[in-house]
Amino acid sequence: MAFDRLLNVAKKEFSDHITSRRFVIILGLLLVISAVGAHAGIESYNNLLESYNQQLQHVQDIDVSGPYTGWMPEKPSILLILSPMMSYMTTLGAVLAIAIGFDLVSKEKETRSLKSLLSHPVYRDEIINGKALGGIAALGFAMVLALAISLAILLLFSIVPTLTEFAAILIFGAVTLGFLLAYFAIALMMSTIAKESGNALIYTMVIFFAVSTLLPVLGAVAGEALAGDRPEPPQTAPLPKEVIWVDNGGYSSTSVSQSVVYEGKAVEVDPAWQQYEDDMRAYSERRMLISSVTNLFSPQMNYFTAAMAVTNPRIATVIHSPLDSMPAETPGLAEALSQVWMNIAALIVFPSAFFAATYVKFMRMDIR
Amino acid sequence: MRDTENINKRMSKSAVSATVPGCIWKCTMIQTENLTKIYNGNPAVDGLDLVVGEGEIFGFLGPNGAGKSTTILMLTGMIEPTAGRCLVDEIEVAKDPLAVKKIIGYLPEDVGFYGNLTAEQNLDYFARFYDMGAKERKARIEELLELVHLDGVTQKAGEYSRGMKQRLGLAQALINDPKVLFLDEPTANLDPEGVREYRDLILALAAEGKTIFVSSHILSEVRAVCRTVGLLAKGKLVAKGTLGEVARTLTPSDEDVVRIVVETRERLPDLDDPEIVAIERNGNRAVVRATSDIRDRLAATLFEQGLHIREMRVEEPDIEDVFMAVYRR
Repeated sequence: MAFDRLLNVAKKEFSDHITSRRFVIILGLLLVISAVGAHAGIESYNNLLESYNQQLQHVQDIDVSGPYTGWMPEKPSILLILSPMMSYMTTLGAVLAIAIGFDLVSKEKETRSLKSLLSHPVYRDEIINGKALGGIAALGFAMVLALAISLAILLLFSIVPTLTEFAAILIFGAVTLGFLLAYFAIALMMSTIAKESGNALIYTMVIFFAVSTLLPVLGAVAGEALAGDRPEPPQTAPLPKEVIWVDNGGYSSTSVSQSVVYEGKAVEVDPAWQQYEDDMRAYSERRMLISSVTNLFSPQMNYFTAAMAVTNPRIATVIHSPLDSMPAETPGLAEALSQVWMNIAALIVFPSAFFAATYVKFMRMDIR
Repeated sequence: MRDTENINKRMSKSAVSATVPGCIWKCTMIQTENLTKIYNGNPAVDGLDLVVGEGEIFGFLGPNGAGKSTTILMLTGMIEPTAGRCLVDEIEVAKDPLAVKKIIGYLPEDVGFYGNLTAEQNLDYFARFYDMGAKERKARIEELLELVHLDGVTQKAGEYSRGMKQRLGLAQALINDPKVLFLDEPTANLDPEGVREYRDLILALAAEGKTIFVSSHILSEVRAVCRTVGLLAKGKLVAKGTLGEVARTLTPSDEDVVRIVVETRERLPDLDDPEIVAIERNGNRAVVRATSDIRDRLAATLFEQGLHIREMRVEEPDIEDVFMAVYRR
């Protein structure tokens, strides 16, 4: 019976969400962008596929005793089509999550329907849990629709994902849902704290900008301030190095130095520069650690890191360990996810903490 | 065996209900014992002891801020008391609020609904919390909407006037056919026709044996429907009983004298009775203050003198004035 009551609240909330004008408009926009994004992703995928086929052709023509002996080009993954979705989910997705959560409780206080509801045989925890469940179901519904559209477009272009790719798409959906829940939980909490929906929306937006924009900057500043003095390079001329710039979608960039081995002979390393490189690595690791810990509080950063591990594990590995050389082979899905477990855990803990705080506040709320 | 226990239980309940006027074999339906609620160190309800019998229409009077709504919130299981306890149909509310909510109906002050739903949808949502099948819900909702004259209204509740909301509020309070009905300022938003219909409905519900607890600061409203009243001031119960009893309790003491109003067609002669304390004369009219009710002797004396009596009555304290005096405290 207790579950029936919770389900009654959840069903009503879900129905309210998917029939509300606000939800329908934002969801419609989300789906249109999903379709456009998927189409653009397929074009990129086809270009990469063409490039892959050309490289494959060249591999057969190159010198068998050259430095690229044994090197094989990598087939592009269809998961690349999800990359555009990552970008708009961090903005439009978050807006959708906030839109359905910011007045869930405050509106009931304003219209006094909460008092009417509480006068019937239902416990407070069933109400707040039902509201959360209804919101989660609505966001899940939106997520399933967005992924279904992307998949439909894939199939329309005769691209059929493998079982692993399909699993990766589902995991991507789950990670995205975790991100959406983070902002839904914040909005729900603000709705419980604030007396008016307008204030709840403002508080939520303040937190949204703080954790999405301010926190990464603060993390970088804190890393700079707390990592100690940056090592000075030696005065002697450096030995030749190769530098690889990694572009990971405009969020951050890093440089990787690597020694290139030609036919088993290592290039001679200057000890002063070796020391500098070691110091610099330690310094960079300290900075990254501080920045990473700070970023754990940003759903955007956690989502970006976790989603990147699913859609582009190779780049994700480089982002995770920028001071190491780029892996020769693309890591498997499980390996890529294991590297970002902290971010995935943060995506679970973040909404859970806000839901818990909402629960406590709602249970103690004065309903006079 | 169980039947015997039940009879014993009812017998013991009837003993308690002896305190309720006009309630001989009826049971106590609502009871509070030292009920207290403190907000930020200030007592909103302070040691309230109250007994309301089954089938009574009880008026809970008091000025704004007296603690009436807080008391109702505790009685309906929506907030927990700081101290003391309250029982509805022998169920302690704080211990089993859900069991209490199943047998009560509550119309809050300024009742609110889901603006995006129609009256029928709102009622159906609330009805789903009770063990009611779809057919039963539908039939009950139709019956109630007809009762409050909202049948056929297709507007969503968000577009309702305050009076319509109040009527829908009454319907939602009756959705589970409750044994006890708590009404907080029930006529606040109703027009005169709505008030008349509300009064008829309350009397009809009471005739069915339902206990009705009406909270209001409007004396005339309570006087129109309630048989017994309780007067709350600053969280404390000041008086309880019929309106007359409460008024007499609250009337400032006049050294236990009875005020008798006498009016004759002719000029009043001198009145001589050992129990008369004083006479305030005004032509052929006078207010006689006596140590007891001497109307029979007085009437005989005036009759013997050949006077025609137009009026003779014991002057009751003016209820409005008495209550206003308490409200102003």
